[in-house]
Amino acid sequence: MTVTTVTPPSRPAGSPVLAEEPRRRGGALRRLLPLLPALVLLVIFMAGPILWSLYISFTNETLTGSASVDSRFVGLENFVKLFGDDAFRNSFLLTFVFVIGSAVIGQNTLGLFIALLQRGRGRVVRSVVNGVVIAAWVVPEVVAAACWYSFLSEEGTLNEVLAFLGLSQDWLFTAPMLAVTLANVWRGTAFSMLVYSAALSDVPGDLLEAAAVDGASGWRRFTGVTLPLIRRSILSNLMLITLQTLASFGLIYAMTGGGPGTASQTTPLYMYDQAFRYFEIGYGSAMALVMLVIGALFSLVYLRLIKVET
Amino acid sequence: MRRTMVASVLVAAVAATAGACGGDKSTGETAGGAKEIEVLYRVEPAWPHMEKTLKQAKTQFEAAHKGVTIKLTPVQGTNEVYYTKLALLNRSADSAPDVYLHDTFQVNADVAAGKLAPLDDYLNTWPDWSTQYADSVKQAAKGPDGKIYGVPISTDTRGLWYNKDILTKAGISVPWEPKTWADVLTAARAVKQKVPGVIPFNMYSTKVLGEAATMQGFEMLLYGTPGGTLYDDTQKKWVASSKGITDSLGFVDTIYREGLGPKQADAFDAKLGEKVGLDWFPGGKLAIGLDGAWMSASWTPTSTKPWPQWTEKIGWTPMPTQNGEAPGAVSMSGGWVMAMSSYAKDKKDAFDFISTATNKENTLTYSVSTGDLTPRKDVASDPRYTAANPSVKFWTDLASVTHYRPAYEVYPKVSAEVQKAMEAMVTGSKTPDAAAKEYADALPGVVGGPDKVTTGS
Repeated sequence: MTVTTVTPPSRPAGSPVLAEEPRRRGGALRRLLPLLPALVLLVIFMAGPILWSLYISFTNETLTGSASVDSRFVGLENFVKLFGDDAFRNSFLLTFVFVIGSAVIGQNTLGLFIALLQRGRGRVVRSVVNGVVIAAWVVPEVVAAACWYSFLSEEGTLNEVLAFLGLSQDWLFTAPMLAVTLANVWRGTAFSMLVYSAALSDVPGDLLEAAAVDGASGWRRFTGVTLPLIRRSILSNLMLITLQTLASFGLIYAMTGGGPGTASQTTPLYMYDQAFRYFEIGYGSAMALVMLVIGALFSLVYLRLIKVET
Repeated sequence: MRRTMVASVLVAAVAATAGACGGDKSTGETAGGAKEIEVLYRVEPAWPHMEKTLKQAKTQFEAAHKGVTIKLTPVQGTNEVYYTKLALLNRSADSAPDVYLHDTFQVNADVAAGKLAPLDDYLNTWPDWSTQYADSVKQAAKGPDGKIYGVPISTDTRGLWYNKDILTKAGISVPWEPKTWADVLTAARAVKQKVPGVIPFNMYSTKVLGEAATMQGFEMLLYGTPGGTLYDDTQKKWVASSKGITDSLGFVDTIYREGLGPKQADAFDAKLGEKVGLDWFPGGKLAIGLDGAWMSASWTPTSTKPWPQWTEKIGWTPMPTQNGEAPGAVSMSGGWVMAMSSYAKDKKDAFDFISTATNKENTLTYSVSTGDLTPRKDVASDPRYTAANPSVKFWTDLASVTHYRPAYEVYPKVSAEVQKAMEAMVTGSKTPDAAAKEYADALPGVVGGPDKVTTGS
């Protein structure tokens, strides 16, 4: 929807131009007024905490002890400490692996794949597949984590099955990153699938038919016709799931707690540890700020890619 | 299609936000003008004891104080979860509970922040305080200013629990009385060799187990080495490196390198404590456990999984010092107090509730069900206290060799460094020397500068 003020096509010469202004301003005000309560709430509950955490990331604020009532401004100290912190670098790397593995590769391609397979299938097949995939998305994060925990645990379903092959092991201990990545793919694929089903339904069938008549193979039609047409959806989808996965906390926390050791401690978990376990809320907020910047960078790249015309 | 999708995404987002914003709370005066006192405590499926005691206290208190209601607010989860929740609620006067169960090692930090109300004025009017609490017990929640900030409800000691049948099978004579660390290792090695399928020795040693690793694990070793301590009281400095620290890490290393401890996956399991109490000891899967006096609480009739045979199957003995140095045994002590928030509106009634919750009857109920040691003289001499649990006298007597943690403000961070070093022993990623060096290097940064650390003997 676009909002433009229509100027009369012809204006008698010499009439005051400024007379238009108050009315326009009044109109803007009238439109803003109904939004006001929502805006106020947003400012209080969104902007407020963000600004507060922005501020305390430059202080030595803690949750307990004397610094919790008497914190002082420490400038960039938290950030200097952050970049020299091995545990943070480790967590950062793991976050990157997690985002690329579970979101950009896992959820994204699997979602697209399922959506493609569903094209032109019968109503029954579609509803069954949709139902199953979306069910994983609908269950609360902690429930999903508990399911995966019991599936992968030492006496879990997977090991019972693998026992025949002699491959059983404690997966959450031997391959924690793989475990949480798989769980996140399982849970998040539905979102990408829905986005892609919608995008694919907008790809005109006659275009594909024409390509087929010209002798293009299935793969060629996919890369040459379908992909360029849904390019914007791909990028918006990537942006959304990247941001979501970047901040993912509950799933990993409930499955491995970041362990064993720090083997699956992504930055949100490390942040939680510092802020709420060792009560260094200032340091934790500095980390949050860095994450915010990285999220913003990702979005900028995706947004630029959307704008680039082929 | 697209529109419905957008709508469903919106609905999901709104639902998630609404869920996150739940939990409205009010303190102080309720609508009818009646007064309300909020009490915060911890509860776990395997640990319902505090809840039982407080419900009993609530009934007694409300019968005696018309117009005042006690609002019991439980926090579900481990100690670590409880500390976090309490710290967050304490950020603001509006959300802070009036009365709460508090771990003594957190008291100093909260006194420094002015979150706790001194109780001296009220304690002077409470006859039990002078008659039933020994002077040593009264120190439990004493602030740096000399004022008292909590009434003790429990204290504890630590030592070794062992399965008599397994040790006998391994050829170790029972009752087992190890005199040195080497004796402990010998017994564990014998179990490994002669009783396959049994975990010879358990000590908490990973970060996920938090303070249990530092206190039940590392400190039980360190404070049994000659001059071993985390904090030098005379110099008022933290000890960055000492032979004791390296040797203690060496002990942990031996346990895991020789396969005398639990599997790695179990060592890193946040629920290890529950496993040991409810499964491993009753199931005969563990020979020796370095643990707290409260271990038997998992087996009492009030537990979720009573195990009446424990009194015959299980033995207990002090943790020896490194080479049998005097006094021959070591123990660490902590404990919990009932504390009052400095934000409490109605301090008189809040204190009345504290004194009700810690009266003889309630303390007895609590001690008998938890196996925690009682701070009250009248409970200690009550036959019901010792009759319920044959190990209680032993654990109480360990107080003669016990040590307290240097529970200063920075202690939790020092503790985290200790856990990091221990974890390296569990995985074998570092040698004891390398981990000790890393601890020494990290310490100045955690305690606030190189002038706050020293080198031990």
